[in-house]
This record gives sequence, structure tokens and C-alpha cells, in this order.
Amino acid sequence: MLEINDLIFRWPGAADATLHIPKLEVAAGERVFLHGPSGSGKSTLLGLLSGINKPESGHIQLLDTDLANLSDAARDKFRADHIGTIFQNFNLLPYLSPIENVMLGCNFSKLRTQRVSASGNTLTQQAQQLLQALGLSPEIMLRSVSQLSIGQQQRVAAARAFIGQPELIIADEPTSALDADNRNTFIELLFQQASQYGATILFVSHDNSLAPLFDKQLSLVEMNEVNQ
Amino acid sequence: MRLVTLATKSMLNRKASVLLTLFTIAISVMLLLSIERVRQEAKSSFSNTVSGTDLIVGARSGDIQLLLSSVFRIGHANNSVSWESYQDIRAQRGVRWSIPMSLGDSHKGHAVLGTDSAYFEHFRYGKKQNLTFAAGRAFVNAQEVVLGSEVASKMHYQLGQQIVISHGMGNTSFHHHDDNPMTIVGILAPTGTPVDKTVHVPLAAIEAMHSQPKSAPRMIGKPKQSTDHNNAHEHNHGHNHGHADEHKHDDSHDHNHADEHGHGHDKPDTAAVAVPAPAHLHGDLIGAPKQITAFLMGLESPLYTLQIRRNINNYKAEPLLAIMPGVTLRELWRMLGLVEKILLLFSGVVVLISLLGMLTTLLATLNQRRRELAILRSVGARPRHIFALMTSEAILITAAGCALGIALFYTLIALAQGTLQSQFGISLSISLLSHYELMLIGVIMAAGTLMGILPATRAYFYSLSDGMSIKL
Repeated sequence: MLEINDLIFRWPGAADATLHIPKLEVAAGERVFLHGPSGSGKSTLLGLLSGINKPESGHIQLLDTDLANLSDAARDKFRADHIGTIFQNFNLLPYLSPIENVMLGCNFSKLRTQRVSASGNTLTQQAQQLLQALGLSPEIMLRSVSQLSIGQQQRVAAARAFIGQPELIIADEPTSALDADNRNTFIELLFQQASQYGATILFVSHDNSLAPLFDKQLSLVEMNEVNQ
Repeated sequence: MRLVTLATKSMLNRKASVLLTLFTIAISVMLLLSIERVRQEAKSSFSNTVSGTDLIVGARSGDIQLLLSSVFRIGHANNSVSWESYQDIRAQRGVRWSIPMSLGDSHKGHAVLGTDSAYFEHFRYGKKQNLTFAAGRAFVNAQEVVLGSEVASKMHYQLGQQIVISHGMGNTSFHHHDDNPMTIVGILAPTGTPVDKTVHVPLAAIEAMHSQPKSAPRMIGKPKQSTDHNNAHEHNHGHNHGHADEHKHDDSHDHNHADEHGHGHDKPDTAAVAVPAPAHLHGDLIGAPKQITAFLMGLESPLYTLQIRRNINNYKAEPLLAIMPGVTLRELWRMLGLVEKILLLFSGVVVLISLLGMLTTLLATLNQRRRELAILRSVGARPRHIFALMTSEAILITAAGCALGIALFYTLIALAQGTLQSQFGISLSISLLSHYELMLIGVIMAAGTLMGILPATRAYFYSLSDGMSIKL
């Protein structure tokens, strides 16, 4: 599913490389915990995986496609089609309703829109079902995003990542604003959704206490051969 | 959801700044359109005031002064042309027709023009159009009057009504020729020129009202001390009947009792409409005034124009001035043209400032919106989507601003129409936007789009460098 070989990345103008990852492998459907304290090059790695940054050398093989060989536009399209992202915070556009926020990604991906219509649902129906599956009641879906609690906002963000069944879900510290109970519930919900169609989850966090919940644990500090 | 929808919702989220920007653009568009519309209408009504006249002749003054007084009824011609000179010149070879004009009197603020029947036959305006009668006929004796369309409609005058012509210009004239009630026998069709605002009377009538024993006593100008009289005295300089000073201030006392509205209002004189002009009256109609203010001439051939003009300008008996109306109109418009260009420049600058205001707002909010852009990037928006989003925002604001500006423009014309028509004689019609005006809107739209490209480009590079990481 995901394979990284000899990846080197350097920010433009920087003397030293930020990342050098000789090897990283993730199998399809795996739930991977990536431990990455701040400053470990976490954001850079996620930028590379989602195709926003381009490696200086090496290969990022995602779904049998080498991202390093794609043009900028093709990598953007690839991300839109195959990757769902959940951020720590600031996930949602305040001027859209929760349902519109969920549907947002389908504006930029024909593939994901087609997958939704193949399931027999309209985009709106699909968004509603996902939100419901993630534990949001229909009345909450009609509220303004700013009226939702942090936990509810994160569920909307998760629904947006899952719509159209992208193969890889990248979650960047999605639970750091949540308390312990909500954290576990949220991760459970992620697993539930992912298992419905076999999505791979790459969960990035500095909080090692969550690591046992996952199939596989990786540490960015250990993997990265650049001295921090 | 399309990008435009997204842009709209994003902007609605920032209502205050977007609406302010939009209003600024709307007001500038309104200003530009209004100034341009008034300018165009002024220009066309201006150049349409007189046509087919080869020469205008008056006492020696300035070209433009003569044009203004004879054609636009603005200002006063201080001197006049003697009747003998007029007769002499019109009898010369090459003169096809001539129209004598005697100005200086008014009726409730409307200029009174003393002339003869040649006026209705030979005067042309616009594209060499003749004057036509909406009702009635030309005057045939000294007690008859023909009204311009606007005078009739504004004063609610009808055929057969009797009106009183006052002495001097302006509404607040102190001399009223109450003894000369005149019957309305004709109302001209609208022309969109000063003719509409003119009361036409026979030359003989003007002569008569100033020489009647009762209203023109004979004391020679010894102004009395009241301020009113000073005012009244000023009028004397303004008209050209050659006996201005005979208008005694005593007159105003004589007539103080008189009803301003004259006698004629309630007693329509049906006879006046029906009675055909007795032929022998024609001579009386012209009468033999001592002087006239100016006269228009049509020549047998335009080729004579320069020669005749030169002869008139060198006329021995008295100092005269002949002008070619087309040339002087152009000269006058050139003078006004500077004002017109400055106005256009100003309104253009106002539009530019409003667009720069939009640019400022878009750029200022851009930094706060990096989070929004990063979210869009993370869900798969490509940098070109971000670019399109930002550009469409500028286009939407400009378009909405233009639309609102056009609406305001029409509201403004609808409101100002009456005043402009009555005060400045500029008739604004609520018509569709002309090609020129649409072109102006097009230029504004293009400029707005260009303005949008700058923040869009910045957003594009932000989105490249920020990626999905949200740096705040």
C-alpha cells in the first residue's frame, strides 16, 4: 500500500536535509501509529505523503504509484482521489454547514464522487449517513459549524476524510484537543469506518499512550536518519 | 458545489468588508455612468440647438456671447442691431432668408423672443428639422403668442388662453406689461432645444408693449433709491428695445396691484383659434421696430458664407458681428470640453480608487484566510483552484458592484430627470445602457478581474508553500 525507499527531503534554500527515511512500509488496511513529537519533521513527512511536497530523491510508492514521478498537478489529483485528511484543529470551513464541509472533498475528486453515486446515495445522503455513523444527530448537522463542540467538529472532519472511500486516511493529531474518553471513542469510530471498506489509517501523534490501540507502531525519530 | 458557490459562501462569511467594498464600487460606477450620460446628453442637445443657419448676426461682442444669447437665450446681448441695418443686409444678394430676433423680455422666467413668421418657416434644429406645431398655428397679429412645448406643459397653458408678458428677464421682474394680454394661438412640438422654453411673439408686440403710452411714461432714467428699483434698473441693460430707460420705475408702482398671473387664465378665447389671419395684418406683424437683438441668416449657397460674414463684420453703418453657428458651437464645446474631460478623469479616478480599495481588502484578509486555503488544499484543491477561487471573488464583487451601481444610476436619473430638464435643459431618458456605457462597464469588470489576479497570485504561492500545514 505505502512504501518509502531512501527518501530525502530538503526545504528549498536549506543546507541540511530535513528528512531521510531509508525505509517505511505500510500494508493495505493496516492501522499504523506514527509517533512524531513536534519538530521531528512530521508535517514535512505528511506533506510528502499527500503529495504537496516533492522529495529531493528516493521513492514514495502509494497504491502502486510513485508520487515522486508525478507532476505537481497529478500529485494534487492523486491526493484528492486517494487520501482523506483529518487535522488536529481548524479543520472545517466556518461558512459551510457540517454537511457541506463533509462533501467538500468531492468537489475536487471525480473518483470519490463516482464512488458515492455507485453506492446509490446522493452526496448529501452519503454525508448524512457518515455523520450519523460517527455519532452526530441530524439536528446537529444543520447547525453552524461554529456552534459545534470540538469533539463534534472532529467527527465532521472524519466524515469528510472518509467520504468517497479514499484508500489512505491521514490523521494528524486529531485527538489532542479531546479528553481521554472522547479520544478512545473517536479512534474506535475511525477504525469502524476504515474497516467498512478496508482503508489504511496513518495516525500521527506525539501521545504514545494511544499507540497500543494500533496494529503497528512507528517512530519518526527512529526512522529519520537526519540528526535533529 | 462549484467554486463560485464556494467563493460566494466564503464572502458571505465576511459580509462587512465585502459589502463595503461592493458599495464603494457601486457608487463609483454610478458616478461614472451618470457623468457620462449627462455629458453625452448635454453634448447632443447642445449641438442640436440650431442647424441650417449659415450666419448669426448681432451687435459686435464676442462670438460665444452672441451664440449664447441668440441660440441659448443665456446672458444678454448688450447692444443691438438697428432695423435699418437688418433691412439693408437681408436685402443683399445671396441671402435666402433671415429671421429677426428680439430678446430681453420674459414670461414667468421663460425667455420671450420677438420675431416674425420667417422663424416658423426657416428655423431648423437637430438634423435640419423644421419647427412643427403641436397645436394651433403661427401668430398673425401683435396680440398673438406661440409657446414652446415646455412653456405650455409647465404652465398648463392652452390655446386661446391669454397671458401677460413681463419686462426684463427672470421670474421676479418688476415691470409687467399688463396692458398687453396676448392670446395663445400656437404651441410648438417638443424639440429638446431652448425653443421649448421660449415664448414667441411678433416683433410688433414687443415694440407695442414698450411704447404704449400708459406703460411707458416718458421720464428719462432717474433711478429712485429703493433697492427694488436698482434691480429693475438692471433689467434695462438686458434688453434691446432701444428705449430701455423709458421704463420708468413708476411703472412698477402702477402695476403693483396687478395679478402676477395675468388676466387670461380663466377666460379662454375661443375666437382666437378660429379666426384666420387677415392678410393685411402681415405688414403690421413685422412692424418697424427700431432695433433687434440679432438675426439668423440662411444663404443661397454656403459658398457665400465667408464673404458675407466678412462684409458684415466690416459693415460701415454700425459695428456688427457675424458668426457661423457650427464653428462657434464647436468652439464653445471645446471650452466646455475641458471641464468635461476633467469630470471624466475624476470619475475614472474614483472607479480606480474603489477597485484599489477592493484590492486592499482582498490582500488584507488573505493572511487570515491562509487556514481556509490550507483546508481546501488538504481536501484536494489544486493551487489553480485556489487561484480561481480568489479571482472569482474579485470578479463577483466587481460584478455585483457594477450591477448595484447601474441600479443606483437609474434611480439617480429617475430622480434627477426633472431638475436637469428644467434647470439645464438636458433631457435624460431612462434608456438601456449604450454601447459606450456597456464598454465602460466592461473596462471596469476587466480592471476588477486584473485587481483580483494579484491576491489570487499571492494565495496561489501561499498555497504552494503552506501546503496543508496550517501556520498561524
